[in-house]
Amino acid sequence: MSSPLRPAIRRYAEHPFWQAVGILLLAYIVVVGVVPILPGSAIVPKSVVLQYMITVLVGVLIYVSDNEERWRQFKEPIQAVLVEPRLKVVRAVVVAGVTALVGLVAYGQVKTTVAAPPNLRSIHPAPPAEITFRGKTITLTGLENPLRRYPDSLPSYLAEGKRVYYQNCLPCHGDHLDGQGHFAPGFNPLPANFQDNGTIAQLTESFVFWRVAKGGPGLPREGTPWNSAMPVWEDFLTEREIWSVILFLYEQTGWTPRTWEKSVSGEK
Amino acid sequence: MTKRAFACVVVLITAASTPLTAHLSPLTLQDTTRGKAVYVKWCAGCHGDGGAGDGPSAAHMLPRPRNFTGAIYKIRSTASGQLPTDADLMRAIDEGLPGSAMPAWKGRLSDGERRDVAAYIKTFSSFFADTSQHVAALKFSSAPGGGTDPSALKEGRRFYEDSIHCNKCHGDEGRGDGPSAPTLKDDAGFPIYAADLHQNWRFRGGGTVEDIYRRLRTGLDGTPMPSFSDLIEQKFLTDEQLWRLAQYVRSLSPPGAPEVRDVIHAPQIAGTVPVSPDDSVWARVSRYWFPLVGQVIRKARWFAPAVSGVWVQAVYDSKTVALRVSWDDRTQSPDTAWLKFEQRILETVAADDSAPPLQAEPWPDQLAVQFPRHIPDGMERPYFLMGSETDPVYQWRWTSRPRKSVAGLARSIERFDTLPGALAGEASFDHGEWRLVFTRALATPDTANEVQLEPGRAIPMAFFAWDGSSGEHGSRMAVSTWYFLALDRPTPPGVFISPVLAMVVTLGLGLVVVRRAQRRGAARAGV
Repeated sequence: MSSPLRPAIRRYAEHPFWQAVGILLLAYIVVVGVVPILPGSAIVPKSVVLQYMITVLVGVLIYVSDNEERWRQFKEPIQAVLVEPRLKVVRAVVVAGVTALVGLVAYGQVKTTVAAPPNLRSIHPAPPAEITFRGKTITLTGLENPLRRYPDSLPSYLAEGKRVYYQNCLPCHGDHLDGQGHFAPGFNPLPANFQDNGTIAQLTESFVFWRVAKGGPGLPREGTPWNSAMPVWEDFLTEREIWSVILFLYEQTGWTPRTWEKSVSGEK
Repeated sequence: MTKRAFACVVVLITAASTPLTAHLSPLTLQDTTRGKAVYVKWCAGCHGDGGAGDGPSAAHMLPRPRNFTGAIYKIRSTASGQLPTDADLMRAIDEGLPGSAMPAWKGRLSDGERRDVAAYIKTFSSFFADTSQHVAALKFSSAPGGGTDPSALKEGRRFYEDSIHCNKCHGDEGRGDGPSAPTLKDDAGFPIYAADLHQNWRFRGGGTVEDIYRRLRTGLDGTPMPSFSDLIEQKFLTDEQLWRLAQYVRSLSPPGAPEVRDVIHAPQIAGTVPVSPDDSVWARVSRYWFPLVGQVIRKARWFAPAVSGVWVQAVYDSKTVALRVSWDDRTQSPDTAWLKFEQRILETVAADDSAPPLQAEPWPDQLAVQFPRHIPDGMERPYFLMGSETDPVYQWRWTSRPRKSVAGLARSIERFDTLPGALAGEASFDHGEWRLVFTRALATPDTANEVQLEPGRAIPMAFFAWDGSSGEHGSRMAVSTWYFLALDRPTPPGVFISPVLAMVVTLGLGLVVVRRAQRRGAARAGV
């Protein structure tokens, strides 16, 4: 069954027209299907997909027209569909299909639908130089986690941080600290994923302290404070509890905080 | 022996031995020392260092984390009262337990880590060490066909209400509102809700017909849900009839778990909008699901929300908008039959201000729909959790007793001031479901405080729900984030002109191209 097919397949695979079709299909699958599942990327917007596809198409056309013989071969199937009497049905389908497609695209362009406004949000907005924590001024610039100065007590601070995490942070940030707690699906933006290399791994502990202490309402405007479900933890936790839970976040995920001297990102 | 024959034998041996080793309790070969390390790091926060289900987060949870020391497991493939198989334990770890705080650990921990931790969990109870106990999965038949036929569902329904009396706990329509529901406790004495059979995506053991059938065969050990295997043995009902029951239960939920979409599209209708929640118009309007979660942001936080989500529909006419919100709620609160249950909930779920636990009170059910005071031009909107002093939100609030609807401004969770404007609300309660319709004029005189509902705009909207019989009142509630309401403008006929024009031009060009190519081809052939 497969052996008589093989030469046919090879004929298609070596034909410039079908190669071009294959490359376009492959590019579409990569842009729409593969890119979104890569870590740290999102669904590609339709307009960007269109740009990618046009770029690929131009590249393909340059390639096939680069060589006289290839160009002739490339045009063959197109010419055949337009001319050959035996391809009458294919010809009708192509003309009707293109017409319908143009109609659909045009309708999609003029039809008005109400969509949710784009949510442009700065994920790590610039922190203030200092904050007031329960009436006490704390300078964030240059600040390290003060608990790290007592290495002998770290196990007890970590135990405290773990307790604080499980009693407070777990419903949203989750058992695996990946922002997928059982309440996470109810919120937008989704809770921060501490396992990701783009959150605490990129931040100083003083930044994390600011985000925990002041929560969503303490964000500057570019951080969309009206959407964030992060509580103002200074209403619930003491300064030491917050530093403890920050220790726990880094310990549990294996990241190291960004430091002030070198400003290098953490390594896992 | 030829090479090929030798290869065949090797393949046969490998094929035969793989299922064999899988069958022989493979977890005994796992490393419980490594398992302990995984357990202490990832599981103990909920399940406790000693496996007693008493980790630091346990007091916030309902249902509570599993207590491994008793070796009683709800989700099994074994007979009632039996230990679970290793595969049962692995399934719970791998897939998690939907509707609870237990996540799926597949993809979060490696295969080896998950197997090691399962082996370690078994060390918390001596029952697993007792080798005289032969743990074997029940042999399950496969589902008979035609499970969605009306006759099959009717037969399933017959067993649901007449023979097995599922309705005693799960209610006549399956929303967990049966007469015995408020008395239910698990073996540890914690309150337990009879499952809402309309939300199969929250079933702990999975929501397929097969999963439901297994729960019917095995029961949920440690809970009031019994096994019905003995009824088959006693010839009280046949295996096929139990399948019909499972198929009926499955039919109560939507075909797939509801997908959350950002925008509720409200069509414009001719005539006037329906004011009654049971108007036939609603059957023809798309409904949108919005998940609600516990209010864990402001004091006093609430970790055990009773309402897991709301279904929302909207329509409008030339003057008025009608918004229908329906949600599952086991009681028409206040309901004195549920006071003891409410008390047990308040004693079980820790809260910021609940030492000593609050006294159960006959709280009503409540629902709130929230808008900004003005449709925003940019992305900025008021704080989603009931606004702030400087930027209040406009809300519609309904209570079950006294039965009334009011509009007002919320300036925080604590502060709500009613506005004089008219807001109509009509609600009906039907077997564990509230259906509520708010109607309001699109435009109102108080443009400073009341959102003006303009067609063609994305109007931010959020939802809040309270189940009084679960002790919910004040800040103890279920909340949502901002979503959007869109009053869709009807498509004007002019919109079709340009696509039709484009199609005519394309078709014409296409025909010209074909004609020219053919003429050229013919000319070439002639030469």
